[in-house]
Amino acid sequence: MSWLGTRSARPLRKPALILTDSRKEKARLLVKSGFQVWRLYRANRAGMLGLVFLLSFIGMALLAPILATHDDPFSITWAEVNPQYEAPSLKFLFGTDYYGRDIWSLTLWGSRASLIVGFLASLVSIVLGTSVGLGAGYFGRIADEALMRMTDFILVMPWFPLMIVFTMLMGQSFENVIIVIGITSWPPTARIVRSQVLSVKERVFVERARAVGAGSGRIIWRHILPNVFPLIFANTILLIANSIFSESFLDFFGLGDPTVISWGTMLEAAYEYHAFSSFAWWTIVAPGLCIILLIMAFYLIGDALDEVLNPKLRRR
Amino acid sequence: MPQDMISYVGRRIAYMALTIFLVISFNFLLFRVMPGDIENIVFGKGASNETKAELTHYYGLDRPLHEQYIIYLEQVFTGEFGKSLTVYKGSTVGSILSPFLLNTLILVGLGTIVSIWVGVILGRETAWKRGKIADRLGSSFFLVFYCMPTFLFALFMLTLFAKFVPGWPISGAYSDDYYELGAFEKIADRGYHTMVPLFALVIETIATFSIIARSSLIDVMTEEYMLTAVAKGLSGHDVLHKHAMPNAMLPVVTVVAMNVGWIVSGSIMIEAVFSYQGIGYLQYRAVMGYDYPLLQATFMLEAIAVIVANFIADIAILKMDPRVRI
Repeated sequence: MSWLGTRSARPLRKPALILTDSRKEKARLLVKSGFQVWRLYRANRAGMLGLVFLLSFIGMALLAPILATHDDPFSITWAEVNPQYEAPSLKFLFGTDYYGRDIWSLTLWGSRASLIVGFLASLVSIVLGTSVGLGAGYFGRIADEALMRMTDFILVMPWFPLMIVFTMLMGQSFENVIIVIGITSWPPTARIVRSQVLSVKERVFVERARAVGAGSGRIIWRHILPNVFPLIFANTILLIANSIFSESFLDFFGLGDPTVISWGTMLEAAYEYHAFSSFAWWTIVAPGLCIILLIMAFYLIGDALDEVLNPKLRRR
Repeated sequence: MPQDMISYVGRRIAYMALTIFLVISFNFLLFRVMPGDIENIVFGKGASNETKAELTHYYGLDRPLHEQYIIYLEQVFTGEFGKSLTVYKGSTVGSILSPFLLNTLILVGLGTIVSIWVGVILGRETAWKRGKIADRLGSSFFLVFYCMPTFLFALFMLTLFAKFVPGWPISGAYSDDYYELGAFEKIADRGYHTMVPLFALVIETIATFSIIARSSLIDVMTEEYMLTAVAKGLSGHDVLHKHAMPNAMLPVVTVVAMNVGWIVSGSIMIEAVFSYQGIGYLQYRAVMGYDYPLLQATFMLEAIAVIVANFIADIAILKMDPRVRI
């Protein structure tokens, strides 16, 4: 039976105790542990595959102006020049859409929106979630009670409808999509951070720091946050995948910024103009496949990082 | 135990009622306090001041906030939910909701049952065959569908059916002549229309539940009592069904409960894509037409559905796990 006796992947070697005050020495140790993480990560094939995907997408976003075969692909004036729903060919690598726009060029430019929203929205979310979690976990009592009830409340709300309502009320714009995704997705992070803070703040080194006279701010910043960080790091990567998913959904639902090229708005246009009844599959497959691959890339990376950074949590 | 159980369930019901009341109030505040002049958004920038004033009065927006709140509560508890602004102009939201609610309940209810059932079976089989071809293939399929947004898969399905199965109904929850059909034909007609949306809805949740069931079962399999079970000579079937599955199911129930909100979200996407006349489709139209009362009502129904589902899951865990202390 192959599953009997299979225990965890090789755990991280215990990090060297940092007993020095020298900045140079600290930096050296940090780099060393960074290399160690990278070595373990490199051995994870799924994680490396995800990384390759992600780097290709970042390259795609950066090189969009060079790789695109049509200038200003978003302009609807293409309708006068190009045929509508042209199948993929050498001239139009991924075909054209309802307005005769080149899907290949649109797809390239669209990667920017997804990556920007993915990173910024999760940044908003992680900052909010970490602050709430730290506040609740560290200060306890009333702060804990109030913050956690709020977290629970948002947690029970169905997530997508909540985003729909927020976007409707705040108005459709690129920034608002980022903000809405950020402010609706922080509760799970807050819970994770809080539970970790609760255990870290009881450790001896926190007590020592307090005995020496460190204030709350310093303890949180220098002693607790670094110990919570590995846990939220892998979580952040998964959050980016979620944000990209949400962005494409909001765009598809007609709540995105109509002036920004994104894969979601491309799908919305394809649906709106009945690409499916003309069997213009390329209008759906091109942006759709990109969304899946990008989400999968983040998912694979997050999973691999989780395994490397938090080996104790996984017994598989 | 039964006495404790009753008091526990009672407390949970009270807590649930409180949460629902909070959701209702939050729903009111959200639409009044959010930035942006609601009158402008609702009535459009072009409306003249007189029309605006008239409409404001008509919808009760000119009264003080607490009065509006009381009126709102009254409307909610009488099931009226205010008047629709654009989509069903003039009629109360409550009067049009019930057929949509029924359609969504059919879709989401069936979706939940099918995805739990199939998801757990697939997760169990792949975990049992861990590392073999079947597991590797299955796991990569799960991963692909797990990463695929539901609306995207629905779009793929829509395109494929429109091309290759031209006669298949790919829009709506039933045919136009539904109300003239006999009882049996009604069910057949519904089944015919529901099949594709249902398939598109469950594929992602099946993948999610399979992944969770698989990893939970694999966790259980590393426990010492599993080794004992094998050592004392139990057959593979008994080890799996009598020792591994009951323990592996608990985390699955928790995750399923957390994912009911996800199924509701998925149903919104599915209903929008297939024009399936349910709450999600109504919400889509409300968004398209800037119909705030309708949006408010659909949001509230979805939130309440998720809260109730979580409550049911909590009780189910209590029933399934004898170790849970009240």
